Amino acid sequence: MRADYVNIVNTHIVPVKLTYHAPKSIEESLRLLANYRKKARILAGGTDLVVDMKLRRKEPEHIISLKKIKELDYIVDDGSAVRVGAATKLRTIEKNKIIRERFQALYEAVRSIGSIQVRNMGTLVGNICNASPAADTAPPLLIFNATVIAKSLNGERTIPINKFFKGPGITSLEDNEMVTEVSIPYPPENSGSSFLKISRVGMDLAKVNVAVLVKLDKGVVEECRIALGAVAPTPLRISKAEEYLRYKSINEENLRVVQEIVAEEIKPITDVRSTEWYRREVSKILVRDAIKLSVERVKK
Amino acid sequence: MTLELMSYHVIGKKTIRKDGVAKVTGREKYASDIYLPNMLYARVLKSPYPHARVKSIDTSEAEKIGAVVITFKDVPDILFCPRLVSTPEATYKDWRVLTDKPSYVGEPIAAVAAETEEIAQKAIELIKVEYEVFEPSFDPLESMKDGKPKIHEKIILNDKEVIIENNIACKLELQEGDLEEAFKNSDVIIEREFKTNRGYHNQLEPKTAIVNPEPDGGLTIWCTTQSIHNTRLLISEIFKIPISKINVKKVALGGGFGSSIQTNIVVPIAVALALKARRPVRLAYTKEEDMHEHSSYQMIFKFKIGAKKDGRLTGGYMINIMDIGAHQIQAYPLLGTCAGWWVSLYKLQAMKYSGIAVYTNKVPSCAYRGYGNPQVTWAVETIMDELAEILGIDPIEIRLINYIGEGDLFWGQGPTVKSVIKSCGVEEILKKGALLIGWKDRPRPRDQKGRFRRGIGMARGYHTSSAGAPISSQVIDYSGAILKVNEDGTIDYITAMVDHGGGTLEAHAKIIAEEIGVPLKNVNIVSADTQTTVYDVCTHASRGIYAGGGAALNAARQVKKKILELASRILDAYPHSLKIRPDEERGQGIVYVEGSSRKEITIGELATLARIKNWGTIAAVESYRPPACPPHFTGYFVEVLVDTETGMVKPLKVVIGADVGTLINPDLAEGQLHGGFMMGWSRAILENLNYSKDLGDMECKGFIIDYKMPTVMDIPDEIKTFFVETYEPTGPFGAKGLGEGAQNPAIAAIANAIYNAIGIRFYELPITPEKILEKLKQSKEIEKLDLEKEVVKSEVA
Amino acid sequence: MKIKLIVNNVEKTLDVEPNELLLNVLREKLGLTGSKYGCGIGECGACTVLVDGEPVLSCLTLAVEVDGREITTVEGLDVNGELDPVQEAFLEEGAIQCGYCTPGFIMIAKALLRENKNPSRSEITEYIKGNLCRCTGYINIIKAIQKASEKIALRERNII
Repeated sequence: MRADYVNIVNTHIVPVKLTYHAPKSIEESLRLLANYRKKARILAGGTDLVVDMKLRRKEPEHIISLKKIKELDYIVDDGSAVRVGAATKLRTIEKNKIIRERFQALYEAVRSIGSIQVRNMGTLVGNICNASPAADTAPPLLIFNATVIAKSLNGERTIPINKFFKGPGITSLEDNEMVTEVSIPYPPENSGSSFLKISRVGMDLAKVNVAVLVKLDKGVVEECRIALGAVAPTPLRISKAEEYLRYKSINEENLRVVQEIVAEEIKPITDVRSTEWYRREVSKILVRDAIKLSVERVKK
Repeated sequence: MTLELMSYHVIGKKTIRKDGVAKVTGREKYASDIYLPNMLYARVLKSPYPHARVKSIDTSEAEKIGAVVITFKDVPDILFCPRLVSTPEATYKDWRVLTDKPSYVGEPIAAVAAETEEIAQKAIELIKVEYEVFEPSFDPLESMKDGKPKIHEKIILNDKEVIIENNIACKLELQEGDLEEAFKNSDVIIEREFKTNRGYHNQLEPKTAIVNPEPDGGLTIWCTTQSIHNTRLLISEIFKIPISKINVKKVALGGGFGSSIQTNIVVPIAVALALKARRPVRLAYTKEEDMHEHSSYQMIFKFKIGAKKDGRLTGGYMINIMDIGAHQIQAYPLLGTCAGWWVSLYKLQAMKYSGIAVYTNKVPSCAYRGYGNPQVTWAVETIMDELAEILGIDPIEIRLINYIGEGDLFWGQGPTVKSVIKSCGVEEILKKGALLIGWKDRPRPRDQKGRFRRGIGMARGYHTSSAGAPISSQVIDYSGAILKVNEDGTIDYITAMVDHGGGTLEAHAKIIAEEIGVPLKNVNIVSADTQTTVYDVCTHASRGIYAGGGAALNAARQVKKKILELASRILDAYPHSLKIRPDEERGQGIVYVEGSSRKEITIGELATLARIKNWGTIAAVESYRPPACPPHFTGYFVEVLVDTETGMVKPLKVVIGADVGTLINPDLAEGQLHGGFMMGWSRAILENLNYSKDLGDMECKGFIIDYKMPTVMDIPDEIKTFFVETYEPTGPFGAKGLGEGAQNPAIAAIANAIYNAIGIRFYELPITPEKILEKLKQSKEIEKLDLEKEVVKSEVA
Repeated sequence: MKIKLIVNNVEKTLDVEPNELLLNVLREKLGLTGSKYGCGIGECGACTVLVDGEPVLSCLTLAVEVDGREITTVEGLDVNGELDPVQEAFLEEGAIQCGYCTPGFIMIAKALLRENKNPSRSEITEYIKGNLCRCTGYINIIKAIQKASEKIALRERNII
């Protein structure tokens, strides 16, 4: 094996020749995308794309900037769902009252991402389109059953978030499609959600991240949703554990079973951030803690 | 001492640092901020293999796009050592500017310079290289085995060839006293093996050099360095350019921590490019390249230590196997200091030491804040804790019984650098620290139940202030200072010494102002380079205030004497009856005759008169060798919280006490302790450059996204620092150093606190959550087995 | 491409390539070397500048993306030789050692205090966690930001 990357990364520049486009409408950007396909990349915040270009992981010839498409920067509460535009910054999302109060797991996940600077530049849509197995917003979007709106010149598609991630860095988007919105349905009444993450230091990618939503009915679990990141090629829901907990009460024994199911369902690896064994062990702890925390929040 | 402290007008006072305004307004110039007209941008071609030979190299395509290219064929064919702190008989030379036999991933093979960084990078990618690949070694024990590929065959020591056998770079054996007898007289003998981590300094500024070829064949150089004079000496040695034609400019340094004691490889590469291009060249490494430039030494220690029942140590044997990476920077002197760090902590009747430095195919290792001391202290202070527990003695008590203090012989900087300790605040540090942390109420190991467990640990240590000694040794250690009095009454201070940010030069200014008797603002720290300064060895070994300050003090004494002599002519009084007082209102030092209020003159008036009367400039030059390297002592008390379900550790409260002699910069000294703790915390629980055999490189590949250091979110809830009062008779105004002692016992105290929380000792750094959780699970299994055995036993009974 | 930047209140018209980074434009074209290159991948915060008052990593920002915007760098904080309260506080609290991270910290602190005049300790740490410092252990940086907050409050009430 040759460590050829030592002569390629990193420099002080973006050593990639670019043609820069700043379309003023979605329509115009879709045309550009249809034209250049794989040779083009969409630039929203740049916190992933510019790094990827600097590190030569991506070498697009065309950059389609969203900065002039004001119609993509919004958070809309339509009474049953909150819709977030593709150009909406993570910082705008964490400052949003509805997100903070009703989508606690998402709020906590966003706040755990990078730095203020990164969140001030980066977008929610960028975070999921980068399709990192450790993307912090993925587990909460999974438990809130979010949908992704993708557009192309051929029309619009709604992709459930659990069908969106295909592998590390791979999504179900076609190369002429662009995500314009993420729609996040309201969580059910009598539910609570939470997000927990373990990492090496205070600003870091996750070794493991977990989001849980619990809906209670008279002390019994009516519905539980559990999602984990950084423990498989894509962020994933643990439906076996969710089903197990349905119509049961939260007690140590039931939680132990849930933990065992989680440990069996995930497929963590050993990498530079942590080990397979450790990820499995703390996944169990995080899931249990997140369930308990979510339950506490139902009562509130 | 208290009375004397009270009478100082600037020593010990909190002041606004002189370089502060430039730093907060972004006007301070670091090497990486230097851009010259007509300058070329350089990039380096690095080996993608950890161990290889270049079979062929073709640079023609790179040259076609207009790049100036150099390869190993274009640089002087000599071996050198980039660090020039030791005497020739202790300086092993195995480096080349560019090599055809790379021995780590990232070793420079060729370099280019071009009009833009974009063209330079393109040129790098156009160079074609064919390699013959050899088996690498990433483990010192592997490297030493017979038949392993040789990382070096012949190197140079003191102008003679040295043949390298079994990849052993150098060795050191020491023995004092009758060790067998000492062990025989011991009531308890403890044997332990320790493995340290490999760290990366992660100073914020990546290594950089800007070189301007001068019309007379000389060079002007701006670079990241802790020693401008040694940079000049080395460039002269490699390129055979007269020393006097090389001028190294002093610029601010964006953190050092030992990584620029040696001349960084960017400097000779940029010089070679500038000489060929005949144009200014800028070579600024990126973070990733920087991580492939330097790292810390990794060590395996084996200790055997004996003690009597009453806690007195008897004798000890230490084996030190050091993984030094692919080249020697200061491996041999480090073998000596590691022995020194050990034997200067606690009294031993007899000792034996076997140190061995081994080449591996990793990034070359260099000093990293503490120069082996944090690692040795971690091992020794772990053993002291264990002995205390075995013998039923309080850990603080066993340290007080054995510590080396005032009047004792001390050789922290190795066996050739011995002196007698003349100031020591160890006892006060330990007693006060114990009180502040709540030592007597600390938890007992294994007594706690539940998920979160609290632990309190302590450790003590020291570092030398400089590497000075009464006689000359294998370490060069002296400093210089030039002072001249301006006609406005201010004093220009010209020194080669680099301030890494700790406030070294601020302290010097205070020493000068105090000694002469002028307001602090009258001392100007002016720009300096190798042409305008006298030699200073390096800012390292926590020598800035003690050695550099010693030079400044002596220069100030000379200037004061001259001021008094000249003033005596004007004031018509004997020089020895004159005094100088700082007059903040008039912004001047004022020479006066005590008891005669009308007879006085400001220093500005005096300097002006001296000019008009042709008496000359009041100035002084000093070159100063410190007579000792007194230890500054520190003690750490750390409280942690361990989450037994995730293995995560959090620092709750930290108490750090220090004996720095006279405290010169109180707030900046406190800052050294804060930074020392966080760096130690990181080295204890977080940082490690693991090597991947598949990559042949560090697992993190040089990315700090995967070589984490603590953020502000990782600091302790509470940190308390205190300084005990001592006076070092050989130091300027009684002062000693601090930079390294500020960190040295941190790792040990943290490890001891983790033990106190969960009853498990770790002998390998870093103590990660992964390791903690694994050990906790194992110990639970063992407990369960024990419990089952108990059940079986009781059933049988 | 021609772009217009208002840098520290001065309008600059510049010719840049689409792949040029804001950090390099500031440092090399405008001679504003206060913003530092630390890691180049958004991990250290040393290149932080304000774009229309919001903190941004200039090492990851294409210059063309900020065409027409207001950029504030550390060089733009002092007015006629009078330091900004954040700069003063950093000086007074021993928050500076080597100083390489200082411009980035000062800019993120400016952004914080603009948003939140009286931040708690945890609000400060959360806000500045993307800025790395290897020298200070962060303790005095937090103190400096707290002090800057007090200074601003006093200034607004015309007390200092």
